[in-house]
Amino acid sequence: MEGIEIAMLGVALAVGLAGSGSAIGIGIVGQSACGLISEDPDKFGQTLLLQALPGTQGIYGLLAGFLIMQDIGIVGEELVELTTWQGYAYLMAALPIAIAGLSSGIYQGRVLASSINLIAKRPEEMGKGIVYAVMVETYAVFALLATILMLFGIAV
Amino acid sequence: MLIDDTIYGYAVARVKAMETQLLDQSQFERMINSSTTEEAVKVLSETGYSASVAELDDVYNFETILADELSYVFNTVYKISPVPELIGMLALRYDIHNLKVLFKSKFLGVKSDLLIPVGSLDIAKLEYAVGEDNYLLLPEKLRRAANSINEDFMINLDPQIIDLILDRVLYEQLIDAAREYDAPFLEGLFVRQIDLNNLKTLIRVKRMGLSRDFLARVLLPNGTLSVDRLTSMFEEPLESLISMLAISDYAELVSEGVREGLEKGSASTLEKLSDDFITSYLKEGKWVPFGVEPLVGYLWAKEIEIKNIRIVLVGKINRLPAESIRERIRDVYI
Repeated sequence: MEGIEIAMLGVALAVGLAGSGSAIGIGIVGQSACGLISEDPDKFGQTLLLQALPGTQGIYGLLAGFLIMQDIGIVGEELVELTTWQGYAYLMAALPIAIAGLSSGIYQGRVLASSINLIAKRPEEMGKGIVYAVMVETYAVFALLATILMLFGIAV
Repeated sequence: MLIDDTIYGYAVARVKAMETQLLDQSQFERMINSSTTEEAVKVLSETGYSASVAELDDVYNFETILADELSYVFNTVYKISPVPELIGMLALRYDIHNLKVLFKSKFLGVKSDLLIPVGSLDIAKLEYAVGEDNYLLLPEKLRRAANSINEDFMINLDPQIIDLILDRVLYEQLIDAAREYDAPFLEGLFVRQIDLNNLKTLIRVKRMGLSRDFLARVLLPNGTLSVDRLTSMFEEPLESLISMLAISDYAELVSEGVREGLEKGSASTLEKLSDDFITSYLKEGKWVPFGVEPLVGYLWAKEIEIKNIRIVLVGKINRLPAESIRERIRDVYI
């Protein structure tokens, strides 16, 4: 494989895996939210906010993918000539957000499904339910940070 | 194999929302403190029971409300459960209850209790089966149990056999099903119920002065207190029997419940403590986010609530003092 293809694999992993994490997480919360809404439709606004939270991993993945695409000229005027090693460097840089995005999206979804159960009984405690989910978010942010630092270190 | 447990998300969240409608301690307290039955029923009309209370023409018919509520709740949870078979298992108890009522009214000519339309078998079908002695429509295990009740009653004319045979077939099926569906939480529930049942049997047999052989025949298998252990305790004097049971998992029931049962022959304290014991077991699974535990807990909570409403209303109708009603009220799940 040429450098450009390897770098594009990195883009695919960052966007695809982190996006999958978000999709699964949002899906999990959505199931729980439907259960609550079927008994108590007034809580729709609250559940929607909780459901949206695992969406960030997908955004981080897309951001990382976009940065790589810009670097290698996929979204610019012309493609940048990459060596095989430079291609691998982009692939490696994409991995942190790809991996942590997938797992944190799923687990954040599980925490938020429990938060749905929490607000079913105590709607006033929603903030605490969000705080627990944000604890999971931290690690997606760290992964994105690592990805971005690695990308900045690659000289093209 | 890793099974996707998030299939329970919908049902658990819905049950959590339904839990908020359960009556709490203060509502029961208001019912207990009301001066008339009508006033106590009025407390119910401010709760989830309001619609059915409004249709009630006579407070003495409150049992219809309770039966309707129970069957509504079972049907709802059955429908939303991703594994309805597990909920069906819990409804089996009502099939057995209905069979007991029908057999007793057939053999003894008395209607001992209400038929409850919760089980998986249609009541009309059960009435026909017992009335006409035609059990072909029943599932195989129940059919065999029904036949052996008939045979045994012809010979011994002892109606106790109805409860013994049917309880045995109930718990055999429950334990088998819990293992088949790999539901350890449910198995834990059934094992506890078997133990509590066996404790009550032990007390009853001792009070009636029956033999150790009889006890060994009527105890249910599969409990944590084995049949051997219970029968070996049987001939011990009261105090040493109580101290032997005090080192089991059921210690908290022994000092009051078992003692009162053995000394006075009254089971009501033990019944209450047994229910509270099961409630505290089910509370352990209350906050499981994905699993059958909250569904089972909710159904039990509803059964306890209905039992409590019945205790209060029957107490009010019979003009019992508030204190004696209060001490029979079960702990609530919420």
